[in-house]
Amino acid sequence: MIHFDNVTKVYANQNRPALDHVSVDVDKGEFVFLVGPSGSGKSTFLRLVLKEERPNSGAIHVAGKDLARLSNFKIPHLRRRIGCVFQDFRLLPNKNVYENVAFALEVIGKPRRFIRKVVPEVVELVGLEGKAHRMPDELSGGEQQRVAMARAFVNRPMILLADEPTGNIDPATSIGIMKVLDRINRTGTTVVMATHDAAIVDSMRKRVVELEDGKIVRDQSRGVYGQAY
Amino acid sequence: MRANFIFSEVWIGLRRNLTMTIAVIVTVAIGMALLGVGLMINSQINSMKDFWADKVEVSVFLCKKDDPFPQCKGSGGVNAQERAELKGEIEGMPQVEKVDVEDAAQAYKNFRAQNANNTVLLTAIQVEDMPESLRVKLKDPDAYATVIEAVKGAPGVSNVVNQRELLEKFFGLLEKLRWAALVVAIILVFAATLLIGNTVRLSAYNRRRETGIMRLVGASNLYIQLPFVMEGVIAGLIGGVLAAMLLIVSKVFLFDGVQLYLSPNSQLSWETVASVISVTMIFGVLICVLASFVTLRRYLRV
Repeated sequence: MIHFDNVTKVYANQNRPALDHVSVDVDKGEFVFLVGPSGSGKSTFLRLVLKEERPNSGAIHVAGKDLARLSNFKIPHLRRRIGCVFQDFRLLPNKNVYENVAFALEVIGKPRRFIRKVVPEVVELVGLEGKAHRMPDELSGGEQQRVAMARAFVNRPMILLADEPTGNIDPATSIGIMKVLDRINRTGTTVVMATHDAAIVDSMRKRVVELEDGKIVRDQSRGVYGQAY
Repeated sequence: MRANFIFSEVWIGLRRNLTMTIAVIVTVAIGMALLGVGLMINSQINSMKDFWADKVEVSVFLCKKDDPFPQCKGSGGVNAQERAELKGEIEGMPQVEKVDVEDAAQAYKNFRAQNANNTVLLTAIQVEDMPESLRVKLKDPDAYATVIEAVKGAPGVSNVVNQRELLEKFFGLLEKLRWAALVVAIILVFAATLLIGNTVRLSAYNRRRETGIMRLVGASNLYIQLPFVMEGVIAGLIGGVLAAMLLIVSKVFLFDGVQLYLSPNSQLSWETVASVISVTMIFGVLICVLASFVTLRRYLRV
């Protein structure tokens, strides 16, 4: 599903590469934790998958497609198959839960009938049934992140990328978030999650890919977070 | 459903930046109105020129009794036979289409009609003071030089007035006016374009959260850009309508009034006004679309 082949990414005005000759394969339906200290290249990895950045060298294949060959015109179509969740939730403050999730479908031109059917299902999946008309500022951090996940998942993407989704959430609520992610993963969606959260990683025992200074230092199935950072 | 979505986004955008939208509307209105006025001046001048072109004559004034002109000193006025001779001579010239005689009585009548408001002048001038003249109509208004040369020194001729020369000065002024109007219009159109681009960019900046998420979620560039472009287009259209109203008002109150003084019956047709309005509106919308696309292109890089 995701195939990185000797990928190097150097940002302008920086000496050290953000990603240094990284080769990784993520299969369909896998759940991968991307761990490592700040600046180790986790966010860069996710952005390369979305083609928000281009690699300086190496090949990236997502869902079988070579990103280098993907025209600018086709990039939106790629992104429709990939869902994203962020540390800061990135909800639209003027729209309620339903509208926030529906937004993801509206902007790609889905008909209203389809939206009306699908959005409530996904809102229920993340555990927010009954709260569909709340505004984001009426929700707790955990609930807001669930809305973000609902939005990421509503289009049934192949891949779900999560960039430190539990970063702003207390440990107890984080467990609830991870349960949702697990549920999503079980429907067949590949999940790649960048995180600092050692407890989560240790408790779930999924595949762990550890980055340090842009290089992969560990790739372990059923791994733990590793040495304390 | 897609159209609904786009329209709701456009409406939100217009409302959020209401002051900027109004600024765009006003600028477009003024810019397009000035462009339209420039075009209308252009058209009006052309029709004025056409009006005068075939009325332009060479006036050959004949000596009368006690004529102040030096050529006539001592000739004691021109009699009917001399006048007929002169007339025949001029008519014989190949450039001349026809020659009309304006005798003193006719000249006096015209003089009274033209200066109907000026009672002082009317009481001062009597019929005897009016000179006779031969009105020479040329086949080609530009070929006056030879005719004037031939007639100028002829006996009995007090003065030759080439109405064309008088009008040249007048039309020179009109030409300058025409250029000035167009230059001002172009400058304002340029300013309008910049302002529209700025407003669209500001609107996009205010909605960067939404646009960011739209990009992330995989909305096509067109879908993202379209609401902003439409905002610009709608503001431009409203401005264009305002400009059209301004143009109509100016036609009725300004142009028609002016041409009445200068060249009656050469007023702008409503067809001309309609075509000017449509040109300016199309132009206005085009500027908006162009400004929107160019400013958003950098901002919404994929």
